[in-house]
Amino acid sequence: MAEAQSPITAVKVEALVVMKIIKHCNQTFPTTATGALVGMDVEGTLEITNSFPFPVVELPTESHFDNAAPNPAASAPRVKANAAYQAEMIRMVREVNVDANSVGWYTSANMGNFVNMNVIENQFFYQKELNERTVALVHDVSRSAQGSLSLRAFRLSAKFVEAFKENKFNSEDLQKSNLRYQDIFDEFPVEIHNSHLITSFIHQLQCPSAGPTDLPPSLAALEASPYSKSSSLTPNLDNLSLNIDPYLEKNCDLLLDSIEAHNTETNNYQYYQRVLGREQQKINNWKQKRTQENATRSALKQPLLPEDEWQRLFKLPAEPSRLESMLNTRQVEQFSRQVDAFVSATTGKMFAAKGNLLPGELAK
Amino acid sequence: MADSFLHLARPLGPVSVGTAPTTAPLNVVIQPQAVFSILDHSLRRNADQERVIGTLLGTRSEDGGEVEVRSAFAVGHSEAEDQVEVDMEYHKQMLALHLKANPREVLVGWYATASELNTFSALIQNFYSGQGDGTWPHPAVHLTVSTEAGKDLETRAYISAPVGVTAERAADSAAFIPVPYELRYGEADKSGLEAIANAKDAEERSTSIATDVEALERAIEEVLGMIDRVSRYVESVIDEEAPASTAMGQFLLNALALAPKVEPADIEKDFNNHIQDVLVVSYLANTIRTQMELSNRLATAQLTLGGGESTGAGGEGQRNQRGGKGGNRPRQDRAPTEEARA
Repeated sequence: MAEAQSPITAVKVEALVVMKIIKHCNQTFPTTATGALVGMDVEGTLEITNSFPFPVVELPTESHFDNAAPNPAASAPRVKANAAYQAEMIRMVREVNVDANSVGWYTSANMGNFVNMNVIENQFFYQKELNERTVALVHDVSRSAQGSLSLRAFRLSAKFVEAFKENKFNSEDLQKSNLRYQDIFDEFPVEIHNSHLITSFIHQLQCPSAGPTDLPPSLAALEASPYSKSSSLTPNLDNLSLNIDPYLEKNCDLLLDSIEAHNTETNNYQYYQRVLGREQQKINNWKQKRTQENATRSALKQPLLPEDEWQRLFKLPAEPSRLESMLNTRQVEQFSRQVDAFVSATTGKMFAAKGNLLPGELAK
Repeated sequence: MADSFLHLARPLGPVSVGTAPTTAPLNVVIQPQAVFSILDHSLRRNADQERVIGTLLGTRSEDGGEVEVRSAFAVGHSEAEDQVEVDMEYHKQMLALHLKANPREVLVGWYATASELNTFSALIQNFYSGQGDGTWPHPAVHLTVSTEAGKDLETRAYISAPVGVTAERAADSAAFIPVPYELRYGEADKSGLEAIANAKDAEERSTSIATDVEALERAIEEVLGMIDRVSRYVESVIDEEAPASTAMGQFLLNALALAPKVEPADIEKDFNNHIQDVLVVSYLANTIRTQMELSNRLATAQLTLGGGESTGAGGEGQRNQRGGKGGNRPRQDRAPTEEARA
């Protein structure tokens, strides 16, 4: 499994899949939605040709992080019942000539908050149980609502999978494997692909076949005509909206949550270190005492007591896993990149708006 | 069955037992997902098949006056000279599977990928609108999407009414009544459709997903293009090359009047406030990221730095400090957003 080279290099998504995912994710928003992807892999490009949603099953999640999955849908891809559902569904679609290989799963996200245990466990499940060539598609509902579609494809890196398999996430292992938060995911470029029929359908949608029309007789007629309603699909003019505050607010909230999570993790770690220090102190005391005792004993020509009994008497606390804080850092990175991208677009828009409202200002 | 037979205005055929199915006017709304599914299925049909059929799912409004087609799945079938075979077992299983994942959707009808209506259509239609497994007492919607090469895609929606003098004849006949339909996509679908539409002129029919800035650039270019077009038109009217239209003039005036009139000082103030918010949030986000990364690095690096306990304690101290800073930051963060809200 530990190949240095990732078996896929790009992801090509059919328009149908894009629309189906958008529909499903929006229906359940803000709850997480998940579903399966089918398609095939053609010379390193993973073509995703169809998808179907997973039913939400009310089952105790199998996550071994107890607080991680309050939402049954988030863990749906790895629940047993859904594996059966997926197998059944794939068997069914095979009959109508749909590519019937499972190539991964999709999930919805809200402002990029998709880096969590659920996603990791799901994707791990897919990569371990099924095959290497599976991806997680993340559709960000909130960001798509801002104007431009946000659809990204991820895979766990081979390095991370190896560490995750053996749950090697304490500091020593991390030093050895040199695994860092940037290495958790491999991201792939996503391409959208249209079939010929869809291409012609979209062309038709945009240019109604009616020829040139007469000039409207009155204002009311003009406003009622289909031309004054925005029918064009591209580009989406929602992009030009200057409504920035809700977005920033939401991002700040998410960042605050991350800081909180980070603090909890550091506190845990500090607690661990305090306990470790105390235990070590006790062991040292015990060792000293034993050495003294032995010194007295040897002076009195008595048999010596064993010096390594402390291993039985004291137990060193287990080091907490660093995985959560790693994920958290990855998540924060995601947020800050998102904010950067947003800021770059927004500043442009704001200067444009200012220049427009105060002509001459900028020339000074 | 001749086509001409089907174009009766309202059938007076035998009324079925019990309450008569409603023949009230019906409006059909189609979501693009359903059309895409149908087109995809059409592409994947077997080489010898003229058309393919499938089931439509969606929602029905309270009074049954509007049907929204939300999704579709394919059903295998085979047609011969004198008989048609539809994989009903498949349809039922697939429907059950689909409803499991989409409990809110119901069966609303079926589609075919040819515009032709024939006896088989009537048979299938009667199955879908029948009692029990069908949509009864609501009419089943039949959607035809012609996918003939070289011609425009043509979509039509029908409902049916029972016709036929005897019960046997009624089983394989139906009067298809065309109903109006509308393609509707929501706000959420817009961004997806936009991305899809970007590929429409590309040779290889594919496109990559644009970043925020790219999308903005495209939007601005489009707006500039529109302004150009309008000003060209206005100029040609002024030069008396194009016919003038008072309605058009009024419309443009109204649009121009939408420009807000604000005091320059206010603009300056708002602008500065907002740009500061934006930049502060960006700055803080990046600071937080760096801090967290540092903290993680230190936590995992302390052992390699040499001494065991002493560096451990040092690292702890540093983290403490950072924890403190982290605690302060939220308040800073809040400030600009609250200001912005005000």
